[in-house]
Amino acid sequence: MDNIAAAFEYLDRCSKCGSCQAVCPLYGETRAEPFVARGKIFLLKNYLERKLDLSPKMKEIMSLCLLCKACTYQCPNKIPVDELVMQARSEIVRKKGMPFVKKNVFQHFLKNNGRLSFAAKMGYLYQRSGLQWLIRKSRILEMLGHDLAQKERLLPRMAGVPFRNQVPRRVSCREPRLRVAYYTGCLTNYVFPNTGHAVLKVLQEQQLDIVIPEQWCCGIPALASGDEKTAAELAQKNVESFNNAGVDAVITDCASCGQMLRKYADFLGTPESKNFAAKVLDFSEFLDKAVSFRVGDRDIPVTVTYHDPCHLRRGQGVVEAPRRLIGSVAGLRFIEMKEPDRCCGSAGSFNLDHYRLASKIGHRKVQNILQTGADIVVTGCPSCIMQIGHNLGLNNSKVQVLHLAELLSMTYADE
Amino acid sequence: MLDASIVAEMKRIVGEENVFTTLEERLCYGYDSTPEAFLPELVVRPDEVGEIQQILKLANKHLIPVFPRGAGTGLSGGSLPVKGGIVLDLTRMDRILEIDEENLVAVVEPGVITQHLQEEVEKRGLFYPPDPASLKTSTLGGNVAECAGGPRAFKYGVTRDYVLGLEVVTPQGEIVRTGGKTVKSVTGYDLTRLYTGSEGTLGVITKIFLRLIPKPEAKKTLMAVYERLDDAANNVTMIIKKGIIPVTLELMDDRTIHCVEKHCKMGLPLDAEAILIIEVDGQKDLVEKQAAQIAELCRANGAREVKVAEDEKTRDEIWAARRAVSAAVVQIKPTKISEDVSVPRSQIPNMVRKLKEIASRYRLNLVIFGHAGDGNLHPNILCDKRDPEEMERVEKAIGELFQAAVELGGTLSGEHGIGIMKAPYLKLETGEAGYDVMLAIKKALDPNNILNPGKIFGSESNG
Repeated sequence: MDNIAAAFEYLDRCSKCGSCQAVCPLYGETRAEPFVARGKIFLLKNYLERKLDLSPKMKEIMSLCLLCKACTYQCPNKIPVDELVMQARSEIVRKKGMPFVKKNVFQHFLKNNGRLSFAAKMGYLYQRSGLQWLIRKSRILEMLGHDLAQKERLLPRMAGVPFRNQVPRRVSCREPRLRVAYYTGCLTNYVFPNTGHAVLKVLQEQQLDIVIPEQWCCGIPALASGDEKTAAELAQKNVESFNNAGVDAVITDCASCGQMLRKYADFLGTPESKNFAAKVLDFSEFLDKAVSFRVGDRDIPVTVTYHDPCHLRRGQGVVEAPRRLIGSVAGLRFIEMKEPDRCCGSAGSFNLDHYRLASKIGHRKVQNILQTGADIVVTGCPSCIMQIGHNLGLNNSKVQVLHLAELLSMTYADE
Repeated sequence: MLDASIVAEMKRIVGEENVFTTLEERLCYGYDSTPEAFLPELVVRPDEVGEIQQILKLANKHLIPVFPRGAGTGLSGGSLPVKGGIVLDLTRMDRILEIDEENLVAVVEPGVITQHLQEEVEKRGLFYPPDPASLKTSTLGGNVAECAGGPRAFKYGVTRDYVLGLEVVTPQGEIVRTGGKTVKSVTGYDLTRLYTGSEGTLGVITKIFLRLIPKPEAKKTLMAVYERLDDAANNVTMIIKKGIIPVTLELMDDRTIHCVEKHCKMGLPLDAEAILIIEVDGQKDLVEKQAAQIAELCRANGAREVKVAEDEKTRDEIWAARRAVSAAVVQIKPTKISEDVSVPRSQIPNMVRKLKEIASRYRLNLVIFGHAGDGNLHPNILCDKRDPEEMERVEKAIGELFQAAVELGGTLSGEHGIGIMKAPYLKLETGEAGYDVMLAIKKALDPNNILNPGKIFGSESNG
C-alpha cells in the first residue's frame, strides 16, 4: 500500500477531463471507460479510499493497459499512468499473489540464463521437430479454444543457438573511438539473432571496442506483471555485470529494455544503478549522438516507413534519431505513416493475454503501414517486430518488418 | 440494485457484453469532467435506435431513471447518474451515416466524436465550425444535448446553429423526427431547437442532421498584450465596429497569464493585465488585410505589444499559451470549478471587475479566461474539495457570480449547460414564470420523470 499511497498525489491531479480518450488505443477500439486512464485512476482512488477491493474484475481492468504512455503525453497534468498501473499490478501481486505460470517463468527462468536457454531450446525443438507441424495439422488448439491456435502462431521461431553463444564476448579494432557494451535483450538473444548480428556489424563499422558482458532479462516483463522483487534482482545483476565491464556506453537494440535499463536509477536508487543508467543509450540514439555515424556506400532502393515504439519515443524521447539514420541511406525513399507513434498492440505479453484486442490494435497499425505503399517497415523494438510481423502475416502482406540495425547493416559491403 | 429480470432483459436487448454490472465498471460511468461522481446500477451500451426504444419502454414501465451519456466530458454534470438507475452509453453508435456534399449536410449518430466529423468534412473542403474545448473526445450527441459552444462561436455560432434535424426516442420509446436536410422548415413547433440543449431530459438523440459550410481558405492569428484590461475590452469593441468579425477573440486575465508562465515558461509578460488572442479567417487576401487592420488598431489603442503570426510555428506558439491554461491553473489547487457565465460583450470589463471583487472577498483563487467576442467568460475557481470550509466559501461565491452575471444582462451558462451544478440558480435567470414553462414541458414529455431526473430543475422539483 505504501508505494501506491505515494502515488496518491498523482491520482489527485486527474481532473477527469477525458483527454486520454483521444489517444488510448484500447479506448479507441472499445470506447469503454474502464479501459481508459481516467477510469483506471478513478478506480485506484476508490481502492485507496477503501471503497473497492482487488477483485478479479479490478485485476482484469488493471491488466488492460498497454503501458504505451500515450495518455501521459496527452494529459494536461502529465500523470504517469503507466507507472500507476504497474504499481497497481504490484499491489495485486503483493495482496493476491501471482498466477502460477507467470510466477514460475519470472522467478525461475528469467533469473537463470541456463534455464531460459533450455526453454528456448525446447521451443526451437518444438518448432523444428515436426511437433509444431503435427499440432497445427491436428487442429487440437482450435478445439481447446481461447484463441490458442492464433496465439500459438504468435510464438516466434526460436533461434537454435542463442545469439550470445554465436558471437565472441569481445569484438575490437585498432584505435577504437569508444568502448561500448551491447545489451542484447532476450528477444534478440533467443528469437532474432539476425538483429544481433546486424547491430554488431553496424557498431563494428563505427570503429568501436565492443563487449557483450554476462547479462540477464532487464526485468520489465516481471515489473509489468507486478513482480517487483524479481525485477529488482535482475536489475541488480545487470548493474553489477555492466559496471564491471568499464564501458563508455551501454547500447541496446530493444526499446522496452532500454526504457527499463534507464529506469534502474530510480528503481534501485543506488549510486551504482545511477552510474549504469546514465550510460544506457538506444542503438539509434548512440549512432546519432555519440559517434559521427558512418553509413555504408551501398544503395538500398526501397520504400521505407517507420514505426515509433512507445518505449522509444515516449519512453526515452527518441524521435528524430532513427529517422535521420534511415534518411542517411542512399537510394531509399522514406514515407511517414499515419499515427507512426500509435502503439502496435504488442506491449510485452499483452498480445498473449488479450489476443483479440491486441489484434484489433495491430490491424490499425497494419492499415497505416499499407497505406504508405512501403516495402519495408523499420522499427526499433523486437516486440513491435513480432506483433507487426504477425499482423502483416494475417493480412497476407508482403511488407517486411526490419530492425533499424538490419536496414543499416545492408548498406555495408560484404566482407 | 435493479431487479435481476430487468438486467436479464437488458442483456437480451443489447447483448451480454454490452451490459456492465460489476461495481468497478459501474463506477467508471458515474463521473464526468465535473468534480462530482455517483454510482449507476447498470450501464447499457446500445448500438441502434430499436434497442434504445426497447430500453426506454422497459425503463418507463418500471420507473427506472435513465441517464444518457456520450464521452462524459461535460462540465455541468449533465450525464451524471444522480439517482442510480441506468447509464445509457451512446458511444457505440459512432457512424457518420452520410456527408451530403450537394446539400451541405452531414447525418451522424450521437456517438461520433466531434473532431472525427470535422476531419472527415474538411477532407471534402467543408467545415463544421462548433469547437468545444473537448472536441477531440466529446461526442456530437453530447454537443447537441448540451448545445456546446467554443471559441469560434462569435463568428460561426454554437451547435444549435448547425442542427437542422434530429431523430429522438421519447421516454415512452417512440421515435420523433424533427426537421431534416432543408435549411428552411417552419412546420409546427421548432422541436429541433427544443431538443437541442435539453440536456437529455426530454428524449434520447439517435440521429443528427448537421449543417455544413465551405471551409475558409485561410486564417491568421495575432496576440496583443495590454497593461490595462479596459484597453483590451475596448479593442474588442473597436475591431467589431470596423466591421471585422474575428473567428476567435480569446481573453486571458493577469492571474491566468501568471499561471501559464509559471507552469510553461513561454515568456509571457507578467506585468500585463490582459492578453487577447485574435484569429481571423476567410479568403486569403481579405484575411491578410483584416489582420493588418487589427494589428494597427490594437497598437494605436493601448496594446503594448502585438505579435502577428506570419508562419505556422508562431501561430502554434500563440495558441500553445491558450491551450496551456487548463493544465496550468490546476497547479494552484487540485479542484477546478469551471464556470461559463456570459454577459453582453460591452459588460466584460464590469464583469471581470465584479468577479475579482467576489474572489477577493471570499479569499479564493480565481482565474478568468474566455471568449471575449461573445462575452462568454470562464471564471475558474481553484480550490480543494477535501477542505469543507473552503468549499463553503466557493459555494457562496458561485451564487454571487451568477447573480452578478444576471444583473449585467447576462446568463448563467453560455455553453456548459445547467446540469446539477447550476440547477439551484436557474430561477435567478428564468424567473418563476419561465421556470414553470420549462417544467411544464418536461412534465408533458416525460411524465414519469425517467429521463435524466435531477438535472436542470434540481431534485426538489422533479425528483
